[in-house]
Amino acid sequence: MRSERATNCAKRPCCVGKVCRLFMLSLRGVRRYLSTVSRAQKYSMAPEAPQDPAAYCRELVRKHDYESFLISKFWPTGTLQDGYFAIKAFSTELAMIQDNVSVATIGAVRMQFWRDAVRDIYADKPPRHPVALALHRATQNASLPAYHLKRIVDARDEELRTTSYPTSDALVAHAESVSSSVLYLLLALRGLGGAEDLAHAASHLGTAQTLATLLWSLPHHAGQRRLPIPLDLSVFDFAVLANDHMLTAREVFKSTGGKVPAVAMPVFLAGVPVASFLEQLEQVNFDAFARSLAMRDWRLSWRIWSGYYRRVF
Amino acid sequence: MSRLLVPVGVFRSIVASNARAFPLISHRLQSTHAHRQPQSTPNYLESADGLMGDLTARKHRHARTVRQFDAQGNELDVYKDGPSAIDKAVHLFFFTEILRGMWIVLEQFFRPPYTISYPFEKGPLSPRFRGEHALRRYPSGEERCIGKSSCKNIGKLHQYPMLLQLANFARPSAQPRQSPSKARRVWTVREEPQNMADIDMTKCIYCGFCQEACPVDAIVETQNQEFSTENREELLYNKEKLLANGDRAEAEIAANLRSDHVYR
Repeated sequence: MRSERATNCAKRPCCVGKVCRLFMLSLRGVRRYLSTVSRAQKYSMAPEAPQDPAAYCRELVRKHDYESFLISKFWPTGTLQDGYFAIKAFSTELAMIQDNVSVATIGAVRMQFWRDAVRDIYADKPPRHPVALALHRATQNASLPAYHLKRIVDARDEELRTTSYPTSDALVAHAESVSSSVLYLLLALRGLGGAEDLAHAASHLGTAQTLATLLWSLPHHAGQRRLPIPLDLSVFDFAVLANDHMLTAREVFKSTGGKVPAVAMPVFLAGVPVASFLEQLEQVNFDAFARSLAMRDWRLSWRIWSGYYRRVF
Repeated sequence: MSRLLVPVGVFRSIVASNARAFPLISHRLQSTHAHRQPQSTPNYLESADGLMGDLTARKHRHARTVRQFDAQGNELDVYKDGPSAIDKAVHLFFFTEILRGMWIVLEQFFRPPYTISYPFEKGPLSPRFRGEHALRRYPSGEERCIGKSSCKNIGKLHQYPMLLQLANFARPSAQPRQSPSKARRVWTVREEPQNMADIDMTKCIYCGFCQEACPVDAIVETQNQEFSTENREELLYNKEKLLANGDRAEAEIAANLRSDHVYR
């Protein structure tokens, strides 16, 4: 279709068109000149001076995980926000591997790259991948335990070979290593790595997060003839399970009247989209295939904003 | 369906309505029997159990072809001078066949053409089409490829010796190793620059594994399928050629990349 349009343009035999074309040609010449200049600059660029890893991570998260992008606005700009984007981009990158490969073996190759990358990041020689570089920068600014990064990679690697989960316990274990690890890392980034009650809340919140994501993407997985939710649960049971974990996570903050400590609030904002999704699911009577669920919730940014100031999720 | 039925039906109805004008054609087109059937009224005498009453039986007997005998009492063949069953079938089928064929031609006359004038017009391509290889850059212009050799290793890992053969693993000090079967080597690794490989496009089977295995999304297969050259050497792509391909098709590649959301 594009080429058709191009030929149509080329066929237009009017003198205005000719003038225009001449003008465009001259423009093209200028552009080509400019591009050769910039190309020369590109080639002269040293291999160790890559594009801004933080910007790459931000763009990746904005494109593939918009909810996390909204939450990022509540992280203090600078190294903390860059660190947030690095961790989120790392988890996004790993989560998307399985959807980008046709055979598990190829996915395993990419997992191995990330396993090596984590090792090299802590050995201060990160591979020249923007996400790895951003993570490396984050590890220098905060003490992020390598254990959690490794755990995410291992869980994703395991997921490649898992077609379905026989019981909900197996899935919950997986969810914890995938999502809760991200939250542990974010807590560590905020300097709250030692707070045990926060870690406890994060573990349940992370589980709820993965369960909600799987419910949300059920139509996508069904389209690929996969069943991401365990065989022993219905959609309703599954949503209830996710909600239970949300409630347990909220229970932790009961002593402060349900209010999350201000310093940890950006981490726990991850619960707002989950709660919002579960509410929506309830409204459509637990029809996971309802069309309204596939659309981005327009009130979400408001909810995250108000959640941040009310310090609840 | 309608294409098949309409002309036949139309023609038959025309003939039937002018049955008196051309009785023979009318008969041949309408009858499916060798016998000429009488135009009979509905048989009310036949009982529901399928048995025949006396009156019906008499009627059938009446409708039977009259047998003729000559003076010696030998029976005469009444159909001797008439058309055979095959003649009638040939007339029926050949004639309607011609009309049906002509009808299809007439339909096509009013339809848009199926053909496209190829180099100027192009047919649709799937976004997943795997064509000529390209190397991508980051938006800043930096090359994505970091020489991890995943693209070459995936062939080995997958037990496709035909597909890819590793010539020389990416170690700066390693001596170039001879490949076991030189004739089937797709990738040739060079030390300079950055352990980058040359691809033999004549041997590639465009499986797309190199694209899937690349952890930095550097190598991709673009939508371009028109890269014929005049000699074989031009199909041995080096890094510069691949990067140039990427620069040309970057917008298209970015638009065609598959997953757009975290589904897990």
